[in-house]
Amino acid sequence: MAETTTAPRVRRRPAVARHAGRIALGVPVTAILLFLAAPLVVLAVSSLNPTASLEFPPQGVSLRWYASVLSSPDWSVSFRLSGLLVLMVVATTTVLGTLAAYGLTRGTFPGRRLVEGVALAPLMVPEIIIALGLLYYFQGLGLLNSVPGLWLAHSLVALPFAVRTIMISAARLDPALERAAATLGAGPVRVFLTVTLPLLRPGILAGAVFAAVTSLGEVAVSVLISGANTTTVPVRVFSAVKFELDPSVAAVSTLLMLASVVVMVVVDRLTRLTEAV
Amino acid sequence: MAAVRGRLSGVGFVLPAVVFLVLVFLVPLVRVLSLSLHPVDGAGNPLPEFSLVQYQRVFSETFFSQALVRSFQTSFLVTALCLALGYPVAYALSRVRTGVLRTLMFVIVLSPLLTSVVVRSYGWVVLLSANGAVNRLLVGTGITDQPLPLLTSYTAVVISVTHVLLPFAIIPLTTALGGIDPHLRRASQSLGAGAVRTFTRVTLPLSLPGVAAACMVVFPLAMGIYITPLLVGGANQPLAGLRVYSQITSVYDYPVAAALSLTLLVLTLVCVAAMGAGFRFWERRHDG
Repeated sequence: MAETTTAPRVRRRPAVARHAGRIALGVPVTAILLFLAAPLVVLAVSSLNPTASLEFPPQGVSLRWYASVLSSPDWSVSFRLSGLLVLMVVATTTVLGTLAAYGLTRGTFPGRRLVEGVALAPLMVPEIIIALGLLYYFQGLGLLNSVPGLWLAHSLVALPFAVRTIMISAARLDPALERAAATLGAGPVRVFLTVTLPLLRPGILAGAVFAAVTSLGEVAVSVLISGANTTTVPVRVFSAVKFELDPSVAAVSTLLMLASVVVMVVVDRLTRLTEAV
Repeated sequence: MAAVRGRLSGVGFVLPAVVFLVLVFLVPLVRVLSLSLHPVDGAGNPLPEFSLVQYQRVFSETFFSQALVRSFQTSFLVTALCLALGYPVAYALSRVRTGVLRTLMFVIVLSPLLTSVVVRSYGWVVLLSANGAVNRLLVGTGITDQPLPLLTSYTAVVISVTHVLLPFAIIPLTTALGGIDPHLRRASQSLGAGAVRTFTRVTLPLSLPGVAAACMVVFPLAMGIYITPLLVGGANQPLAGLRVYSQITSVYDYPVAAALSLTLLVLTLVCVAAMGAGFRFWERRHDG
């Protein structure tokens, strides 16, 4: 291990003991990682099944379920709706989240802790209550089975993730840089746009990823407030799983996973997300 | 004027989010509260007068009260499992600082988090179904003669909920373990402590804030979860979230659903506050 070479004064533990330590940690960790990956891998492999069953391992390899999903008008309506919602939700939560995270980190106003608590509260409140609350509320407002209703609901669920992630970046921000810009004659708006925002970029991007992924996967609230005209991809997967087991759902699930992975990889390229967590 | 601006600095930034949260979060919660405080007529429509009858039902009918107890027990169990499974992974992640291995581990830890709950639950349905991988393995190796009814069992619910929430435990644990100065471990070992003693006396106590954070994230999520138990265990699992869901979607009794879900919320908040107090007490005792 590296530490023995960087700290030569420490007596080297015998090689046998170090190997035993590595195995004692490595074996359970590998097993737990397999547990984490297993359902997703099984799903992706099952989606390649040439027959109409979800046997594992599959009898052969075929892309027929992908073809059937991509040519299905129902699924394509859902894909478009989910895509639209991701764009709307990311735009809303990054704007609201960036402003709020900056205000909460820098602000000194009374009630700051209360606002912070409320902003992060949707994470602590059992999802079924948010679902019931929005169902009952939207019923009165005529927002059930509507895109604006889903947009508000997804933004609510995604906002705490965005606020929390951006607050981490905001806390690391050096106020001296903003003061320097102001001393050099930049107005407050210009300071915010040209100094503050670029410095918050890693947090904002990470927050946007979390918001996108949350919206793309949201079911708990969507199931109750969506309807026949507003079935998002995960809601359609949910109803399909409840009523039938068909490899086309596995194909959609795999596409949904791929979409999330693509989002993560693209952003990781930009910000080294894995090192920020 | 300058003093006022100084005292209120930052208000303008949080205002849009506050307006949004009041309209989309607090107002619906208050409406749920008021809904839970009214009796209903024969058709299930709320009547105008004030009453606690919905809460009486929640506490007196075992259909609801047992679900609350079961949700509490399940969340406790799932939180313990997430800590037990998450800690070794977080420990390994904090020790492997660079390279392909670390990236691979991170992808495996984060990919479930980035995948819809419905997809992960479906993965368990496929794994545990009568002709799924687990049953094929059991029958193929001769451990059982015929496929076991793994789906719809309580065990399946615990396994799948643990799977869904495990990444939420691993992330704060990794942050806490990664923040421990490696010199402290070396110091402990150079003073003669073995690997086990160094772990129990140095690493574990220093990682407790991460343990606390993991508990306080996983526990509330487990209390309210209903999609995974519904898909893996079926609608009859005696969990509070599922009872609320079935009251809403098949009985259309919103007021009792409101009372049950608010009781669940209060129970969750009390438990989280108690955990927070417990960890703070522990920390003070060990710092002082």
